[in-house]
Amino acid sequence: MSQPGVDAPYSNYELGKPYDEMFARDGKARAPYAALDSRLSTLPLEELNRRQQAVEQSFLHQGITFTVYNDNRATERIIPTDLLPRIVTAPEWDRIERGLTQRITALNLFLRDIYTDGRVLKDGVVPRSMIYGSKHYRREMRGLPVPHGAYVNICGSDLIRNEAGDFVVLEDNLRVPSGVSYMLANRDVARRAFPAVFRSMGVRPVDHYPLELLATLRSLVPFHEDVSIAILTPGVFNSAYFEHAFLARQMGVELVEGRDLLVNDNIVYTRTTSGLKRIDVIYRRIDDDFIDPLIFREDSALGVPGLFNAYRAGNVMIANALGTGVADDKAVYAYVPRLIRYYLAEEPILDNVETFLCREERSLQHVLGNLDKLVVKAVGESGGYGMLIGPHASQAEREEFARKIKSDPENYIAQPTIQLSTAPTFVGNGVEARHVDLRPFILHGAETKIVPGALTRVALKRGSLVVNSSQGGGSKDTWVLSQ
Amino acid sequence: MLSRVADSLYWMARYIERAEHTARLIAVKLDSMVEQTPEDAASSWARVHQALTGEKTSPDLDAFDITQRLAFDRDNETSLINCLSLARDNARQVREALSNEVWENLNRLYLRLSPVTMDSIWVHTPARLFREALEDMHALEGVTYSTLSHGEGWYFLELGRHIERVQQLGRLLDVHFKVAQAPEHSPKYFDWLVLLKFCTAFEPYTKQYTASIRPQKIAEFLLFDAEFPHSICFSVDRMSEALARVAPGAPPARRAAVERLAGRLKSAVDFGQVDELMSGGVAAFIADITKQCEQIHKALYSSYITYGAETVL
Repeated sequence: MSQPGVDAPYSNYELGKPYDEMFARDGKARAPYAALDSRLSTLPLEELNRRQQAVEQSFLHQGITFTVYNDNRATERIIPTDLLPRIVTAPEWDRIERGLTQRITALNLFLRDIYTDGRVLKDGVVPRSMIYGSKHYRREMRGLPVPHGAYVNICGSDLIRNEAGDFVVLEDNLRVPSGVSYMLANRDVARRAFPAVFRSMGVRPVDHYPLELLATLRSLVPFHEDVSIAILTPGVFNSAYFEHAFLARQMGVELVEGRDLLVNDNIVYTRTTSGLKRIDVIYRRIDDDFIDPLIFREDSALGVPGLFNAYRAGNVMIANALGTGVADDKAVYAYVPRLIRYYLAEEPILDNVETFLCREERSLQHVLGNLDKLVVKAVGESGGYGMLIGPHASQAEREEFARKIKSDPENYIAQPTIQLSTAPTFVGNGVEARHVDLRPFILHGAETKIVPGALTRVALKRGSLVVNSSQGGGSKDTWVLSQ
Repeated sequence: MLSRVADSLYWMARYIERAEHTARLIAVKLDSMVEQTPEDAASSWARVHQALTGEKTSPDLDAFDITQRLAFDRDNETSLINCLSLARDNARQVREALSNEVWENLNRLYLRLSPVTMDSIWVHTPARLFREALEDMHALEGVTYSTLSHGEGWYFLELGRHIERVQQLGRLLDVHFKVAQAPEHSPKYFDWLVLLKFCTAFEPYTKQYTASIRPQKIAEFLLFDAEFPHSICFSVDRMSEALARVAPGAPPARRAAVERLAGRLKSAVDFGQVDELMSGGVAAFIADITKQCEQIHKALYSSYITYGAETVL
């Protein structure tokens, strides 16, 4: 038995306060990791290094890259992938699946409510100003019917595992979540790196995600023959372009840019070599703001003039619906458990991370008094921007953030520094503990589908809690076990 | 097929064809220069430079400088590396219309050549790099043929490849057959041999005409041989075939504009006579063919790719 912190390959494996996915507190490997553990103890490090390099080469050749611009020079980088899988047991997954289904159901009911009757606001469950004042609330969506009441069709929620070992929701990404192509690419990687372990464990497949996505998009129109579907991408310079092209190929649908589409008489067409072809469903990977320069940002060159009117006329379906961002706002997040109780009369299956709303005076004082212990986030930002990690910040940074919070308290929330769980990660000369989160992908059309898998994001820097790919994060495969 | 996708496939193929042509000229020239006098080699390099860039080279440039400019100069928009970079950019734009094999072959080739510098190859057999690049491009052509459906997209690739091939062949023949050359710079026996090698035509030519190398026969072969893939006639046939297969649903009026031009070009080549051309007319004939290709390119775009939406609503 190799002991973490003592024996190779785990000599530098630190077990601290956070929950560790692989090792229990006493340093013994947890049962689901036993097979991986025994393989790791016989596999020479050079062989792991070779496999790691082969994976990086393969990603580069496949063009699974994003572009970084430095001094006017464009460099293509891969998002690092770790060979070692993260394992989720069947009971754990069952709870995640039920919890996320419950959550997306409540959030969709909430969206329909605030864009129609506003019952939840009249009943005082959520403050009116928080919704109508949100920059993501789209007045243009009021009263507009949406198929199956499904505003959010594709969702990628971020979960973390807390010190007690429970999964809790950190963020609902209801706008244009990305990363699902990495879930699929990582599966190839881990399956090839550990074929025997993979085979022995009963890992549930994820490859049918594109098929489920296609079915979800099809379910948005009432007819079933000849549904013409397109993915709308901002184009080749977008950091998720690989994913857009990947999904288009896997589903067998068109990949279009704004300049390929035109609207005539409230009908959306693409320009083809043989003439114009009508489009029925658009899976858009463009933010609300850029989708139609006539209605939203007029300087947008990515969108399609007239698209919103065609949508309003019911001649084209757009997934996700516009205006979903109002519900993944970090302030609304704090209300989701109350929304679940309000709409479904159920207790939340998955908890939130404890959240202080700076708009509430008592919380504001608590936050200002405990900045060194809290993580403060701006409400409308994502991707790890606009945030303060109190314990890691300098006194000056904290003071500056305190000023920002006081001048605009409604724009900030705070959470205790959450200890993301750690998982074994290959670092070149051994296996060490790195912090991870979990992003499963939820599909919601005529029905709710969650493919049993997820993107596990890894903070590759030792001790770092930031898993975002824009800030030094990588990812790894997630094995959901069938029993 | 989306017009934008057709556009990218067409240009991707044109840039790959141009890259292949450039790599082949450089490889053949680097190999053959060792058998020439310095003066003859310089004239020959000057012709290569002019055929590839359309510009005369300055006399103080040597083989190193010219290779650098034609292969790796990022400021020369037709350099090998720029052609591959543009081909790859176009391929990335239509990643969903290509097979993994096509994309990965092209991407790997670009990533392999991208960091190469002249200094790193010049000391030892510099031609090897270009021969290897050619092998990679032949492999790319093979996977394109065998992993893509031969549908509309494939025919846009064919169109791009063969329109570009006619243009490049035309320029190469032009610099060799132009009459207004000073005698000391005009091609010698060895240069005609090299011209055949520039077009991978040496052995096919000797099979047809034996090893007696005569400019008139070379012109006949490279212009009018219907079976050799690097002849003008062959490429024009492929273009006609491809034009009949793209945009199957386009209205007849728009198809007619393109097909009329293609028919005119095909008959010009089918009924061209080399005897009439040899009295200085090769250059004029090529200029006419090139011009017709440009007209086809324009008609292709206005009929299928950039047409105004109001014309079809």
